[in-house]
Amino acid sequence: MIPVTVIAGYLGSGKTTLINKFLVEASSPIAVLVNDFGELDIDSKLIDNEESLTLSLTNGCVCCKLSDDIGASLESLKNRDISAVVIEASGVSLPIKIANYGLSWPGFTLNAIITVVDGQSIARLLKDKFVMHTVKNQIQQADAVLLNRSNNLPLEELHKFTTNVIDENEISDFSDLILKEYSPIQLVKEGITDHASFQTYVFTSNKPVNKEKIKEYLLSNPNIQRAKGWIKEEDGNCFLLQMTPSECNFSSSNFNNETRIVIIYIGEGLPALKL
Amino acid sequence: MITVFPAKSIITMNASMPRAEAVAVRDGKILETGTLESLQPWLSKHDHKIDEQFKNSFIVPGLIDPHLHPSMAAVLLPTYFITAMEWKMPWGTTPATRSPAEYDERLKEAISKPTHGELFITWGHHNLWHGPISRSRLNSIDSKTPIVVWNRSFHEVCMNDAALELLEIKEADVANATQIDFEKGRFYEIGLGYAIQKLNPYILAPEIFKEGLLKLKEVVHFGGQTTIADMAVGLFDFETELNTQAALYENEDNPFRVELIAHSTVMQKGNSIEQAEELIAQLPERNTHRLNFGKRVKLFTDGAFFSQVAQLMEPGYIDGHQGEWLSTPEQFEENARVFWNKGYAIHVHCTGDLGLELAVDTLQKMQDEKPRFNHGFTIEHFGLSTPEQVFRLSKLGANISANAYYVHELSDIYSNDSVGYERASSMARIGTSFKEGITTTLHSDFTMAPAQPLMSMWVAVNRINEKGNLMCEEERITPQQGLEAITINAARVLGLDHEIGSIRAGKKADFTILEEDPLNIDPIKIKDIDIKATVFEGKVFSLKSQ
Repeated sequence: MIPVTVIAGYLGSGKTTLINKFLVEASSPIAVLVNDFGELDIDSKLIDNEESLTLSLTNGCVCCKLSDDIGASLESLKNRDISAVVIEASGVSLPIKIANYGLSWPGFTLNAIITVVDGQSIARLLKDKFVMHTVKNQIQQADAVLLNRSNNLPLEELHKFTTNVIDENEISDFSDLILKEYSPIQLVKEGITDHASFQTYVFTSNKPVNKEKIKEYLLSNPNIQRAKGWIKEEDGNCFLLQMTPSECNFSSSNFNNETRIVIIYIGEGLPALKL
Repeated sequence: MITVFPAKSIITMNASMPRAEAVAVRDGKILETGTLESLQPWLSKHDHKIDEQFKNSFIVPGLIDPHLHPSMAAVLLPTYFITAMEWKMPWGTTPATRSPAEYDERLKEAISKPTHGELFITWGHHNLWHGPISRSRLNSIDSKTPIVVWNRSFHEVCMNDAALELLEIKEADVANATQIDFEKGRFYEIGLGYAIQKLNPYILAPEIFKEGLLKLKEVVHFGGQTTIADMAVGLFDFETELNTQAALYENEDNPFRVELIAHSTVMQKGNSIEQAEELIAQLPERNTHRLNFGKRVKLFTDGAFFSQVAQLMEPGYIDGHQGEWLSTPEQFEENARVFWNKGYAIHVHCTGDLGLELAVDTLQKMQDEKPRFNHGFTIEHFGLSTPEQVFRLSKLGANISANAYYVHELSDIYSNDSVGYERASSMARIGTSFKEGITTTLHSDFTMAPAQPLMSMWVAVNRINEKGNLMCEEERITPQQGLEAITINAARVLGLDHEIGSIRAGKKADFTILEEDPLNIDPIKIKDIDIKATVFEGKVFSLKSQ
C-alpha cells in the first residue's frame, strides 16, 4: 500500500514550495502529482527523463502533471518503484475529495492532509465573498495547517477554525514534520537546503521611498521569487513589505528605521532598484 | 428549381411578418415567405414545383438546442435503458419500470436477446424504485453474461461475477478501498472511477463511440432539431470527438449542423491561457459545411447543479454543505479577460447564484476595462439567481441560456432537501429574464434533460414539476416567448441569427414541421405535439410515425 499525502491550500499559499522541498529532500523515491510543472523548481541536472506528462528525476522521484483524472494518474504509478505519493490539490479543491483517492483507490492508503495557509492573505480570503467557505473548508479538513509568512497574523483568526496550526517559522524540517506527526511516510532529510541558482539581493536606503514604485519594480521582474522587508515613506509611514510572484502586500508597521528589503531571485543580472 | 411548401400556417418568428401560408425555397435557402399569390413574382419567372406534403401542418423555424454534449450522449446511448421514468427515443419508448420484480424481469428479457456485445451494460437503475442492487441479485438473474448496472445518477455501478472476471477485478486488489464493496459488487464515487478505468475499453471503444454518435443523430432529428451546439468539445478527447463527428455528421444524409464551442481548460492543457487562445483562434480553419467553430469559448465558474455542488450565496444549502468552484475566481477572471480582450463571445457555465455572481462581477470588470457592445457573453444553465443579478445582466448586455428542465425534475426535491421552497421554485428565473429584455434561450444539456426543444419550451411555459405542481407562476413565459427561445433567440446566442432561427427571405431553409400550432394549442400539450419532419437546407427528412 502506497501512502498518499494531500497538499491543499488556496492559490499562492505556498504548496509548490513545500512540494519542492519533498522532492529534493527525498531519500527514497516518491511521486508528486502537480497541477503545473512550470511552478516546480527542479534543477535541469536532476531531470533524468522528460515525457509530456511525467518527469523522472535522478534521485528516483517522479513528477506527474495531474489531469482531471487523478485515478488514472495513480493507476500509472502502481508499476513504478515509489514509496509515497504527494498530491497537490488545486487552489479550490476540497481536500477531503482528493483524500478520498488515498482512501479508496486500490493499492493506496491515505497518509495525511496538509493545508498550507499564507499568513499574509488569509484574513482577506476568509472574508472574500467568493472563496471564504472554500478556504475555511480547506483549513477545517486538514490534519495539519502549515502557516506560511505568519508575521503580524492574528492567530485567533485561524484558531476559530482549527487549533492544529503549525507556524512555518518554527519548522526546521518539513518532511520530518509530516513523518513524525502523522505517518510512516519515508521521507528523510538529506541536508539539501537552498537551491543553488537562487540569489539574494539586499536593497537599503536612508532616504524615504515610494512604495508604489517598489511594487512596480518587484512585480515587473519575473525572476524575483520572493521579497520581504520594511520601507519608510516620505510622510514617515512605515510598512512591512511581503511579495510573492503574484502578490505584493504592504501592511502598516511600527518599525521605524531605514528602508531595507531582501530580494530572492533566480538567475543572473537582476536590474538594480533605483528610485 | 424552386420548391414551394404550402402549410396550414407558417410561424416565421420574424416580427415583421409573423405568419405566412407558403415558403419558397431554392438551393437550400428561403427565397420568400407569404402566400401562393404573393410569391407569384418569383414563381411566374422561374421553374418551380408546389410540394404539398405539409399543407395540413404547421411550419416553424428549425428548432435549435444551443447546449448539449454529443460525447456524453455517445457514451450513454449505446447502453440498454431500464428506467423509472418513461424515455421517448427514436428507436422506441422505454416504458417506466417501477418495481424490483419488474426490473429483474426486464433485465432478464434484455439479456436473452442476442443483440448486445460481450459485456451487457444497462443504465437507469434507481434504488427508490428498483430496490438495492447487488452482485448476488445479478448472479441470480444471469451468472454467465457479464452484466454492469449503471445507476441513474451515473455515480455508481454494480457488476455480477462474470463481469468482475471479464474485467479482471480481484478481491485482493480492492480489499481496502472504502468506496468499493466487493462482496456486493458495487463501485461508487472514487470506486466508480476505478471501475470506469476497467470499463473504458468497452465504453470508449471507437466503434461503440461511433454507435453512440449515430444514435445521437437519430435523437437530434427526433427532437425536431436542425442545429445543435456542442458546448464544450473535448470532454473526453478533443481530436476523437471532432474527427468522429466530422466523419459521421458531415454528409448529405445528416439533417442538422453542429456549432462547436471549445472548452478553454481542455485547450489549455497546462499551458498558458494565451496559448490556449491561440489554438482556439485557429479552430475555424477546420470548419466544414455542417461543423462550425465561431469566435466563442466555454468557461466555468461553479460545480454541477444535479450534484448539489453549485456555489450558493447566503443562506446556502439547508444541510450547510458547500458548493465547489471549478477554478479560483482569480483564474476565472484572468481567463475571461484574455478572451474578452480578443473579442470572443464567452459562454460561462454557472449553476448557483454565487457562481453567477462571479460571472456578473467579472463581466462588470471587463466592461469597465474595455467596453464592448453585442459581445455575446452568455450565462449557461442559470440554475439559481436573484432578480437583482438578472437586472445587472440586462444592463451589462449578457445573454442567458437556461436549462428549464431543472424546474421540472429538481424543484420538488430541492424544495425539501436542498435549498427550500422559495429558491427552488424560482430556479431558472426565465420570466424575469424576458421582462428585463435579455436574449434568452433554452437548452437540454443532453444527457441532463431530453434533447427535445418542445419539452424545454413546455417546462418554461408551464413550470409544472414531476410531482405535477406549478412552481412560481410569475416566472412562466408565454408560448410566443417559448418558441422565440428555441428558435431565433437560440440562433442569436450562437451568433447564427443572420442565417437561421426564423423564416424569412435569405435565411437557410431549416424548418420543423409540427402537426399542431404550438402558439394556439393548450400550453400543457406543447411537449406532446407530433413532429412530422424536419427540413435541413431545403431537404426534407421525415420522421416515421411516432
